[in-house]
Amino acid sequence: MTSPTLTRPLIRTRWPAAIRTLGPPAVLVLGLCTWALGVGQLRPPAIGSYGLLASANPWFLLGLGMVVSGFLIELHRSAARGWVLGLGIVAVIVAIHATVPILYGTPEYAWVYKHIGVALALGQNGRVTDPSSIYQLWPALFAATASLGALGHVGPLTFATWAPLAFELADALVLLAVFRVLSGNRRVAYLAVLLYEGLIAWVGQDYLSPQAFAYLLWLGVVLILARWLRRPAPVEPRGRLGRLRAPVLAGLEPPPPTSRRRRAVAIVLVAVIFLVIVAAHQLTPYIALTGVGALVVLGLIRPWWLVVVLAAIAGGYLIPRYGLIAHDFGGLFSGGNPIQNASGSRGTHHAGAEATTALIVRGLAAGMWLLALAAIALRRRSLGRVAFAAGLAFSPFVVLVAQSYGGEAVYRVYLFSAPWCALLIAGAVYELRRPQLRWIVVGGVCGAALLAGLQGLYGPVAVNAVMPDELAASGWLYTHTPPGSLIVLAADNFPALDTADYNARQLEVMPADPQIGEAWLDEGNVSEVESWIAGLGHQSAYVVVSHGMAAYADYFGAPTGFTRLAHGLPTAPGWTVVYRNADVTIYRLTVR
Amino acid sequence: MSPSRTALTAYAGVLASIVAAVLTLTAPVPAMSLIGTLTLACVPAGAAVMCWIDSGENVAQAALTLILSLTAFSLASAVMIWVAAWHPRALLVLAAASVVSCLARLRRADGR
Repeated sequence: MTSPTLTRPLIRTRWPAAIRTLGPPAVLVLGLCTWALGVGQLRPPAIGSYGLLASANPWFLLGLGMVVSGFLIELHRSAARGWVLGLGIVAVIVAIHATVPILYGTPEYAWVYKHIGVALALGQNGRVTDPSSIYQLWPALFAATASLGALGHVGPLTFATWAPLAFELADALVLLAVFRVLSGNRRVAYLAVLLYEGLIAWVGQDYLSPQAFAYLLWLGVVLILARWLRRPAPVEPRGRLGRLRAPVLAGLEPPPPTSRRRRAVAIVLVAVIFLVIVAAHQLTPYIALTGVGALVVLGLIRPWWLVVVLAAIAGGYLIPRYGLIAHDFGGLFSGGNPIQNASGSRGTHHAGAEATTALIVRGLAAGMWLLALAAIALRRRSLGRVAFAAGLAFSPFVVLVAQSYGGEAVYRVYLFSAPWCALLIAGAVYELRRPQLRWIVVGGVCGAALLAGLQGLYGPVAVNAVMPDELAASGWLYTHTPPGSLIVLAADNFPALDTADYNARQLEVMPADPQIGEAWLDEGNVSEVESWIAGLGHQSAYVVVSHGMAAYADYFGAPTGFTRLAHGLPTAPGWTVVYRNADVTIYRLTVR
Repeated sequence: MSPSRTALTAYAGVLASIVAAVLTLTAPVPAMSLIGTLTLACVPAGAAVMCWIDSGENVAQAALTLILSLTAFSLASAVMIWVAAWHPRALLVLAAASVVSCLARLRRADGR
C-alpha cells in the first residue's frame, strides 16, 4: 500500500492551497503599496547624480522587487492565471513609469515642451501655420493631442505628464497580443513583455512624442501581419529564392487560420495605420519598411507587394516635404557610415555618474543582442520557429546604413529591435530542460535587465526632471516678454516653446555644448557671452539660468563654463534680474 | 468568427461611444471631459471595425481595437488640420459611426 502523501506531487504538499492561490496577487498588491510608501518618502532634492535607484529608500526598492517577484511567482505556478500575470505586468509598468510623474508632477524631459507648443498652435490656429516646422508638417500626433485638449477642456500639459505610463501600458497590451500570436506558450509571451519592460526602460522614447505614437502603431501593424498575413511554409522550395529560404523556414509553424477576405481587410488596415505612422513621424516608416521588407524577403508574410504599397505611401508623403528633411537631416541618406550613425548623440562623456550609467545601458544593449543571437543559434536546426522575431529584431540595423537622424537613429534601432529580442530570449529560456536552472535563468535575466534598464531610466532623473518652478519661469517668459524678443538659454535643459505662439520669440542656446553642435563659446567669460549675444542683432536679450541647467552641466560635463557664468552674472554690469524663483533666474541684458 | 468575442467588442463599442459622447459634451469638470475624450480616442472607432473581425484572441481583440481607434482619431484630427477645417467636436462622429456599426453587428448576430 502506498502512502497518500507519496503519491501527491511535492509542489502540492509544500504550501496550503489558499497561499498558493492568494499568494502571488497578494505579493503584487503589497508590492504596489510598499512602492507607494517608498515614493511618498522620496524627496527630489535628495536625488543625486547617480539617480533614483542610488538615492531611493528601502521601501521603494522593496516594492519594486515585490512587484516583480509576485509576477514571477505566478509565472512559476503550474496553472498560471492570465489575470494575475496581466495584473503583474500592469503593476510593474505603473511602478516603473508612475514614479517620476508622482514625484515632480510635470512632464519629464525639457524637449517635451516644444511638442506641447506645436499641439497648442495647431489647436489654436486650426491649420498648419509654419511650413518650415517639421512638427507641423508631420502633424498626426500633434493634431490628435490638440483634439484631446479641445474636447477635454484641458491643456496638453495636463496629460503629457502621464504619457510615458500610458504609452508603456498600450505598448505592453499590443506586444502581449503579438507575442501570444507568435508563441504558442502563454508564459513565454508574458515573460517576454516583462523582459521588454526592463530592456527598453532606459531608452526614454515613450514621452508625448510622434515617435512614441508611431512606435505603438507599428506594433499594431506587426500584430496584423502576424495574425492574418503570415505565409504557410512551402511544401517544396521552388526556384533559387525558395532554395535559399528553405533553411530559414525549417520548422516554420503553420499560421493561424484565415481567409482571402480577411487577408484583404488586413492589408487595408495595415495601409491605413501605416499612413498615420507616415503622417506622425519622419523615421518610423522607414524602420517599419525594413521590418516588413525583411519578413517579405524571408518568405514569412504575403503578399510581397505589400511592401511596395507601404513604400509608395511613405514616398508619396515624403516627396513634397523632402526639402525640409534635406535641410534638417541632410537628406534621407545622411551618410553611408554605419559606425558613425550608430555612435549616438554627440557629446563629451563626463566621468562619473553619466559615464557609469552610459556604460550600464551599453552593457544591457550588447547583452540583449548577444543573447538574442544565442537564442537564434540554439534553434539553428529549426530556424522557422524564430525567423519572424529574428527578422524584426535585426532588420532595424539597415537604418544605420542610411541615417544618423541627428544621433538618435541608434536609439530607435534599439527600441525597434528590443521586443523581438525579448521574445527570442524568453523563448530560449523556456526551452531549458532543467526546471530549476530555467527559473534561476529567468530570475537572473529579468533582474539584470530591470536593474540595468532602471538605472538607465532613473540615473539622469535629476537632470531630466522639470521642476514646477522651471515651468512657472517658462510661463513668465512667454507672457511677459514682448513678441520678437530674444531668449537665450545658458544650457539646453529648460522647458521652452510650450506656447501656441512659440515662433513669436527667437530662442537660442549658447554655443558652448558639444552635445548640441559647435561648442566654441567660453560660457564662463561674460564679456564673450555679451559679444555673442550682440551678434544676434537684438537690442536686448532674456538670459535664463536654472538649477536644471546646473544639474545638466554637472552630469554631462558641458557647458564647461556654466558654473562660472552663473556665479558671474549677478555682479556683471548691464545684467538685470527680471524674474527669479527657487530654481530659475532670468536676466535681461541690454546690448551696449 | 467567434460570436461571443465580436459581440463583446460590439457591446464595448456601444457602451464606450455613449460614455464618451456624454462625458465629452456634458461633464461638469474637465477631468471627466478628459476621460470621455480619451475613451473616444481609444475605443469606438476600433470597436466599429473589430466587432466584425475575430482576431481569435481576447488580448489581440483589445489591442487592435485600441490601435484602430487611435489611428482613426489621429487621422481625422490631421485631416481637419490639413484642410483647415478645425472642428474637434466633429470627432464625435466616430462615436456615432461606432454605435451604428456595433448595433448592426449585434442585430445580425441576433438574427442568426
